[in-house]
This record gives sequence, C-alpha cells and structure tokens, in this order.
Amino acid sequence: MTDEMTWINQAQQGDDEAFTNLVETYQKPVYNLCYRMLGEPESAEDAAQETFLKVYQNLARYDRERSFATWLLSIAAHHCIDKLRRRRFPSISIDEDEEGQTDLPDRSAPDPELETAKRQERERLHYCLQSLDPTDRAAVIMRYWQDCSEVEIAQALKLTVPAVKSRLHRARRALADLWDEKPAHVRTERKPYGSPAF
Amino acid sequence: MDHRPFEDWLLDNQPLTTDQKRLLNTHLRTCSSCTALVEVNLALNSVKLAAPSTGFTDRFQVRLSAKKQAIRQRNFWGFVVLSLSVLGLFAWVSWPVFRILIQSPVNLLASWISSLVSFWASLQAIFRAGMVLFKVVPGFVPAYIWAVILFAAGGWSLVWVVSFMKFTKYPQGA
Repeated sequence: MTDEMTWINQAQQGDDEAFTNLVETYQKPVYNLCYRMLGEPESAEDAAQETFLKVYQNLARYDRERSFATWLLSIAAHHCIDKLRRRRFPSISIDEDEEGQTDLPDRSAPDPELETAKRQERERLHYCLQSLDPTDRAAVIMRYWQDCSEVEIAQALKLTVPAVKSRLHRARRALADLWDEKPAHVRTERKPYGSPAF
Repeated sequence: MDHRPFEDWLLDNQPLTTDQKRLLNTHLRTCSSCTALVEVNLALNSVKLAAPSTGFTDRFQVRLSAKKQAIRQRNFWGFVVLSLSVLGLFAWVSWPVFRILIQSPVNLLASWISSLVSFWASLQAIFRAGMVLFKVVPGFVPAYIWAVILFAAGGWSLVWVVSFMKFTKYPQGA
C-alpha cells in the first residue's frame, strides 16, 4: 500500500496528522488550480483551504477506484467554478508572479531581461486565461499545469472525453485570439487610490 | 493553401512530416493568428506551478480547528433547541393530565368522593322514582288495557321467535 493510501485510510479513521500529510503533499497543485482559476492569490488561498475542508468532511465518500489527485482537483475545480459563477465582475491580479514575489526582474538571474520577458509572457497567459469560460479554464489548467489526461479531466469535470477535447481546442483557439490582440503586461486592476488624473 | 489545415495541425498537436513543417513555417510568416497559436502552445508547455505562501498547512490546521469548533457549537445548540422543542411539545400534549396530577391529594380525594356520592345519590333517586311508579301506575290502568298489552307483547315475541328460527335455519340442498 502506498503512503497516500495509508494516509487516506488513517484520515478516514479520524487521524488528523495523516490528513495534514495529504494537505502537505497536494497543497501546491490545489493552490495552483485555484490561483489559475480565480486569478488572485488571496482568493486562491481561501479556495484551496476550503477545498481541503470539503475533502476532510467528505473523505468517507472517496471512491478508492479513482485517483485521489483527480478527486481532489475535481473538488477544487468545482469550488472555483461555483465561485466564479457567483462573482459579478472578473478580478485579475498580476502584481505577483507564481512564487508570490513582487513583479521585479531578478537581477541575480543569468539573464535578467530574459527572466523579465518570461515573466511577462506568464502574466500575459494568466491574463488571457481569465477570459475563458470557467469550465474551459479548468480543463486547460488541468491539462497543462497538472498534466492530467483527457480521461482524468473528463472524470473531474463530469464531461465526456470528446467534450473535453472540444473544450481544449476551443480554449486554445480563444487564448490565441486574445494573445494576438492584447499587449503584454496588461494590468486590469486599478489601485484603490489610483486615478487617471495623476 | 487554405488557413484551416495549419490551425488543425497546431490544435491537434500531431507530429508533422518535414514537408508539413516547411509549409507551416512558410504559413506562419504571414498568419498572425497561427503565430499566436504557436506562441500560446509554447507558453502553455512551459508553465510553472504557483505555490501558496509558506505555512499553508499551519493555516489549514487553524481553519480546521475553527471549523470543528463551529460544528461542535452548532451541534450543541441544535441539540438544545431540539430537546426544548420536544419537551415543549410533550408538555403541551400532556398538560390536561399533568394539571390533574399536580393538584393536592386532598383536592383529588375530595373530587373522587364527591363523584362517588353524586353517583350513589343518582342511583337512589332513580330507584325511588321506579318504586313510586310501580306502586301508582297499576291503579290508573284498566284491566282490559293490561290484557291488550300482554296480548301485544306475546304476539311480538312470537314474531321474533319465528323470524329467528326462519333466518337461522341451515338451507337444505343448497
């Protein structure tokens, strides 16, 4: 039996330490999914925490025939999709990069300009991603960030495999259209004290 | 050449032959839409996982404790409300019985004795009224009325007996 299955068994019997091990192991993929889905670190942190709480409460219902990671990501994706549907206005923050650092070029890197260009490209992709339909976005994130197969994505998002393929095609086409028209490093959030007059 | 096959090649991520690659490269020089698709493909294939800030697990444990505490409190108050509701309903249903039970034993005994005395007095009154009627009524009724009454009672009894025998007889040959 793998460590993961042992932890799941122990957590199902009420062992909180075993569940903490699962949180430790899966915090990054779950947080990443939430961050890519919601676009903001604060909302992503909240959604990731809520996902783990939901998993904790529903662990008894986990079907051992399925992959735990897929089940977990499915809960995270549905949580984020629900949150996005409740949201009235999209909110995107690109002030921080993936590692939670400020948007300044890394001068210690071998080629700071290249690093900056790469970061700007990631920010541009992050921006474009926020324009997709929530389910398409979840499919793209699971495919490219989490390396999930189309079958796993279909299971997680309760879709058929052809539907996943079609959504991935459509999403990539939409991303390319946005990529073509939007300039790099687009900031959509105005600071609360910001004004065009200044 | 039409734009469509190039887009399909890029979207399908299928391995291309040398000729196809050459054609695609030529097409990309003039098509910004397909160039954007190539750039998006490259960007998607070089993505990085975003990591939460340090201490995510600790923050989760704090949140889990708070959630458990909230569930415990909710269960406690739920139990209190349910218990009070059940007790209230029980009190409302059993109030008439309970009201009698909470009276003082002297009152209860007095009430029982009073009921018995009144019942006994009623019986005695009915018995006396019957005795008076039994003594008085025969003097008012003439003898031939008595004969008619007896004759009618006999005939009525005969009708009853015959009817009873007829309807209780087991049907033969049925």
